[in-house]
Amino acid sequence: MIAIDRLRKSKNRTRILRDVSFEARPGRVTGFLGPNGAGKTSTLRVLLGLDRPESGTALVNGRPYASWPRPLTMVGAVLDGSGAHRARSARAHLRWVAASNGLPRGRVGEVLDLVGLAGDARKRAGRFSLGMSRRLGLATAMLGDPPILVLDEPVNGLDPAGIRWIRDFLRTSAAEGRTVLLSSHLMGELAEIADDVVVIDHGQVVAHGTVAEVTGEHRTLEDAFFALTAEAGRTWPA
Amino acid sequence: MAGMIRAELGKLLGLPTARVGLVLGVLIAPLLVLVNAPATRASLADGTFGDPTDLGFRNLGIGLLGALILGVVSVSSEYTSTGEDSPGVRQLTVTLAAMPDRTRLLIAKATALVAVVTAQGVGTATATLGLTELVHGEAVPAPSPARVAAAVLYWVLTTLLAFALTLIARNGVVTLTVLILNSSVVSLSYLLYKVTPLAAYLPDIVGAHMFIRGMDLAERIPPVTAGLVMSAWVTAFLALAAVIFHRRDA
Repeated sequence: MIAIDRLRKSKNRTRILRDVSFEARPGRVTGFLGPNGAGKTSTLRVLLGLDRPESGTALVNGRPYASWPRPLTMVGAVLDGSGAHRARSARAHLRWVAASNGLPRGRVGEVLDLVGLAGDARKRAGRFSLGMSRRLGLATAMLGDPPILVLDEPVNGLDPAGIRWIRDFLRTSAAEGRTVLLSSHLMGELAEIADDVVVIDHGQVVAHGTVAEVTGEHRTLEDAFFALTAEAGRTWPA
Repeated sequence: MAGMIRAELGKLLGLPTARVGLVLGVLIAPLLVLVNAPATRASLADGTFGDPTDLGFRNLGIGLLGALILGVVSVSSEYTSTGEDSPGVRQLTVTLAAMPDRTRLLIAKATALVAVVTAQGVGTATATLGLTELVHGEAVPAPSPARVAAAVLYWVLTTLLAFALTLIARNGVVTLTVLILNSSVVSLSYLLYKVTPLAAYLPDIVGAHMFIRGMDLAERIPPVTAGLVMSAWVTAFLALAAVIFHRRDA
């Protein structure tokens, strides 16, 4: 369970989060939808204790993320890319992460199998393709077998096979009872994966509910999205 | 905490740059003893060398570069971008997700660094001083254990200074360039000393008084005072770095 309550944050004197509140529940995939720069990544960074809000709270099963003694057993997070140092092998990266949270070394092999990277364990992260980096990021997130997954734009830039793999992975995770929160600006994709949707625009939550509720009278989630956000007013050349 | 220290040790020793620093630090000083041997022998013979007990310790100084590299990359590796397609992504994100308590993280990081550099310092000092004795024999008195310990302490403190400065600057290239220029080409503090003798107490030059007797400066600082002054400098820089690290968005 993730509970975000009235988060506020400014950067360079611009308000980037305006009282952002929503919840993500266990057993469901919650899609966090918004145009680029709407505040998705900022919200997730506050949730993970990377950035500090001016006010408001972001709780993970009732407590701030940073107060959990072995946080990787509570939340697995992927924020764009693997975060592995380019000179390190996938295995070396996973090993230090496992050690930091007192996780058994055996988990490293297990998560590499899980994401299909067992054959590339000795390869340096700097030589990984985008898809492989994403998989390594997911492997890192799954090390502590956490009940909660947080992913920022997980399908961005992936090929169709990669997108399909992530989609199945996240659906399975939710079916196992995990709380899955993922951000995206790809509406079609999100409509396929998510149970619930939170729409954010200019740092403000403009809609929140099941996919059906947010879609409402509109033909698709995409139509609803354009009606709800400022994207409607933006003109693109034909 | 033990797991966090193990993680930081694994991270540090797994970096190719850190390994270069480790090997460079251990090999370069003993090598210098051999290279310098003929010239040193001559100056010892005609009495121009100065305090002969300084001999092995002077050669030790060059190995400090290896320790500096370790101190810098321990932090800078957190801030280097992990890929061209994702310029904003750094290892620090994973580090803080795994170890969100920033105070404990810094303690684990510094502990791992101190462990590695202490081992490196002891190894280098033993090799360098042993080799000095082998090459010059009777001409050089056996070094006292207290002076060896002071030299190792100097390595550790200098490394922690590099660690703190990199944490403040968030950039390894700048810190390493400044530190290497300052320690090998010209020391800013040494230039300042020409203006005021108080500059002898600045962090980069005061520490050497712990184990070198015949310093180039006229200022004589007792070894214990030198150690305390340098420790105070390093503590201050570490505290400043920790406060900044706490307040900053990662």
